[in-house]
Amino acid sequence: MQPLGLSIGVWVNALLTLCILSFLYKDNPFFRFAESLFAGMSLGYYIGIVTVQTLQPNLIRPLGETFFGNHNYLLLIPMALGIMLYFRYIPRISWLSRIALAVYIGYYVGVLMMQKIHGQVIPQTRDTIMPVTTGGIDALWNLVVIIGVFSVLVYFYFSVEHKGVVGKVSRVGIWFLMISFGASFGYTIMARISLLMGRFSFLVNNWIRPMFGS
Amino acid sequence: MNLKKLLYIDRRIIYLVVAIGALIPIIRPIGLPVEPTDPVIGLFDKLESLSPGDAVIISYDYGPSSEPELNPMSSAILRHCFHREIKVLIMAVFPLGGVNMAIREVERITSEFEDLEYGVDYVNLGYKDGGQAAMKALAVSIRDVFPADVDGNDISAMPIINEIRNYDDVEVVISLATGIIGEWWADLVNAQFSVPVAVGCTAVSAPKYYAFLRSGQMIAVLGGLKGASEYEELLRRNFVWARKVYSDPAEMKLAATTGMDVQAIVHVIIIVFIIFGNIMYFATGKEKGR
Repeated sequence: MQPLGLSIGVWVNALLTLCILSFLYKDNPFFRFAESLFAGMSLGYYIGIVTVQTLQPNLIRPLGETFFGNHNYLLLIPMALGIMLYFRYIPRISWLSRIALAVYIGYYVGVLMMQKIHGQVIPQTRDTIMPVTTGGIDALWNLVVIIGVFSVLVYFYFSVEHKGVVGKVSRVGIWFLMISFGASFGYTIMARISLLMGRFSFLVNNWIRPMFGS
Repeated sequence: MNLKKLLYIDRRIIYLVVAIGALIPIIRPIGLPVEPTDPVIGLFDKLESLSPGDAVIISYDYGPSSEPELNPMSSAILRHCFHREIKVLIMAVFPLGGVNMAIREVERITSEFEDLEYGVDYVNLGYKDGGQAAMKALAVSIRDVFPADVDGNDISAMPIINEIRNYDDVEVVISLATGIIGEWWADLVNAQFSVPVAVGCTAVSAPKYYAFLRSGQMIAVLGGLKGASEYEELLRRNFVWARKVYSDPAEMKLAATTGMDVQAIVHVIIIVFIIFGNIMYFATGKEKGR
């Protein structure tokens, strides 16, 4: 026998799952209720988790406990920038929010530029420069990768009309793209079935079976 | 028989067939075999190569929507770490539920180990907002980014935090990720701080992560439920304790191996529908516009 609180939770969980699954038959008020509830809960959860797990330990507590120690007073700057973001809702001083936004965007553009160049462009380009004359199956796969990368790049090069040699190479690029889309689609199906299985497993093992005492 | 009717079959009939196909193995598991592959073996070998006392970060970068795929991975990896006496720092950078996934999983798995001590063998650092900003700051000081644990306790008194100060003291970062977060660990943390990164991801994200695996930016990729089931199989093949854990019917309800039965059956159904649809399409003479 499950504790009452747990069984209420399971029932709410199960009924909301059925509300969402009911969309597969057709759109209905139960689905819309569950969808709206989920959206609202998610937003509330996000606000709560950021307050408790980030603002409290990293801002409020250090300022309250030791304002001058560890140069904690410097935290007033990000705090002010964060508050300034909300000035956009006050028309008279809405321009101030742009300063905070500029700092925010500037930081993340800087981080992302390094991240993309250092972490993706360079290593992925380096990984495409591979030997194709060593013989064996590895050389063959290397050749496939090189042809794939080259032909797909040609496909996305729009400064030259895609006819003649360029057209033929870009056609090869389309084939590579189609194969990669197929692989992605296969993985997507696998992911969606996993989610379906997760819900069905919950309904069968946590909701229906306990009802019948098995 | 009117072939056109079959071609325009109501989609709800397809849903019903898929639902029945998914329910059968859940009610009566089949136990289809699973064969581990190199992308998954990479993480197993890495954890096996570590010594007791070495540290790993496990980042819970997913929410309830990815729970069926990533919880089994989390369970298997945590069990492996704790049996190897590897210290585990648990954290989350995914806002919508990551920290709750971590709390539930850690509570469940640590309850299997009597000798584990919180703050010494493992710690749950909780969620931190900021994504890449938090990841970068961990390179300087874990304590500065996470001054308190998930329950708000001061972590400076915990021995594990005095031993593991930043990425220099971490042997591998394991991100259980939905969406793009696993990619950040590779293209930011691995690229800039040379920390080995392994990603357990949802199947949707798996194809793009193989490029990172091939380029050496990740040491392992566990793709969806299949990756999780392969890790469970590796544990079963190598450890007596794992054979015991994964033969418990209650545990098997949560295991990825059981889920792979569902995958196999539903995939066959979908393949049959695709073949059937194409045959009908050609048999009816490729009707205009359909």
